[in-house]
Amino acid sequence: MEALTGWWDDFFWGSLVVVEIFFVALILTVLFGLIGSAAKLSKSRVAHSIASAYTIVFRGTPEILVLLLFYFGSAITLTAIAQVFDPEIKFVDIPPFWAGSLAIALIVGSYATETFRGAFLGVDPGQVEAARALGLSNLKTFIYVRIPAMWRLALPPFGNHMLSLIKDTALIAIIGLEETLFVAKQAIGTTGKPFTMYIVVGAIYLGFSTVITLSVMVLERYANRHLEVAR
Amino acid sequence: MSFDFALIVDSIPKILTGIGLTFQLLFLSAVLGLALAIILLLMRISGRWYLVAPTMVYIYIFRGTPILVQIFIIYYGLPQLEFVRDSIFWPILREAFGCAIVALTLNTGAYVSEILRGGVLGVDRGLKEAGAALGLSARHRFIYVTAPIAIRLCLPAYSNDVISLMKSTALASTITLLDMMGIARTIVAETYAPYEIFISVMVVYLILTWIIQRGFGWMEKRMSRHVRSEA
Repeated sequence: MEALTGWWDDFFWGSLVVVEIFFVALILTVLFGLIGSAAKLSKSRVAHSIASAYTIVFRGTPEILVLLLFYFGSAITLTAIAQVFDPEIKFVDIPPFWAGSLAIALIVGSYATETFRGAFLGVDPGQVEAARALGLSNLKTFIYVRIPAMWRLALPPFGNHMLSLIKDTALIAIIGLEETLFVAKQAIGTTGKPFTMYIVVGAIYLGFSTVITLSVMVLERYANRHLEVAR
Repeated sequence: MSFDFALIVDSIPKILTGIGLTFQLLFLSAVLGLALAIILLLMRISGRWYLVAPTMVYIYIFRGTPILVQIFIIYYGLPQLEFVRDSIFWPILREAFGCAIVALTLNTGAYVSEILRGGVLGVDRGLKEAGAALGLSARHRFIYVTAPIAIRLCLPAYSNDVISLMKSTALASTITLLDMMGIARTIVAETYAPYEIFISVMVVYLILTWIIQRGFGWMEKRMSRHVRSEA
């Protein structure tokens, strides 16, 4: 335990990076999931096949592969583009924070696509017809009727997606993001105590997972409050 | 920057030399993980608190932390502890391969035991009661009534877990193992052609995912052939 003296604040800042990346990726995941499920449910053949290709590719390949492809791929492309303007430039990359959050959001977004698709299909068609009959536009029906009815159904599996998201943030340390795993590596370099440091990282992630699990429980209670028996 | 097809043709055979290691990691940890999952399941449904509590803690820890952190704790962390180095497990934990198998097994065991539990809980109570009425002992009821139905119920979820296990084997490349991912990363480090190499290895992983899906799909169909509707 003495080995940890002086590293607590680094672990704290590392955890903060995890939180930041989690929220950025969470927003993107919801976005990709909504777009993907809308495309899968649309009548357009093109949109449907693009969305299918998206879910097949991102659910069928290792997360680390997507991450590395994104980071190194974007770096090589950006460097090539930059060199057109200034041949002196040696290396340009997307910051690991953005490459990483985009990559894990695309991965978890492909799972969310399927979840949202199922949830949209689970919405009672009568409700949508009622909204139509009331003269609500397509957009208004989507926002005021479909989404509130669907998120109740999507919440339990989406809780699992949030857990995957927080756990996937650990991978971003591989491309050099200064989050907890990265801090641990530095701490090991000076203290020579790998077990202690990685256990701390594990404990931090366990804490995050617990918070997410509890939040999902609270959200589920809130979403289903109208179904609770009056006391 | 251009897409170098000759490089792809050149490197695919090299990448495929790692497929054996990927398969070894997948099969060994799938089989050992399933055995572990069954033990955990039996402990979990035993109804004895001193068996249930440790199982719940185990599952909570292994599902709540990233697999990458688990791999690092086992590979980099455990050698810090003297009693691990003196133990009989040291020959396994000294090797990166052994560590990867241990980490993947412990991780997948936690997930699979929850899937199995879902299957066991999904078995109709009436069937178990019928078994009891026929005078079958608890053990016989579990083996001849609950287990066959539970296996069929949890097969779809289990196939997803095998796919995510396959994706997790790619993380073995972070502890120096040269599975397909490890080889791909080495080639990228030499050629600096992330698109060509990573996309090729991505295709190989997609094919593996497809094969696993197809295999389990076939099994599901076979196991539920008696419930297929007469069409």
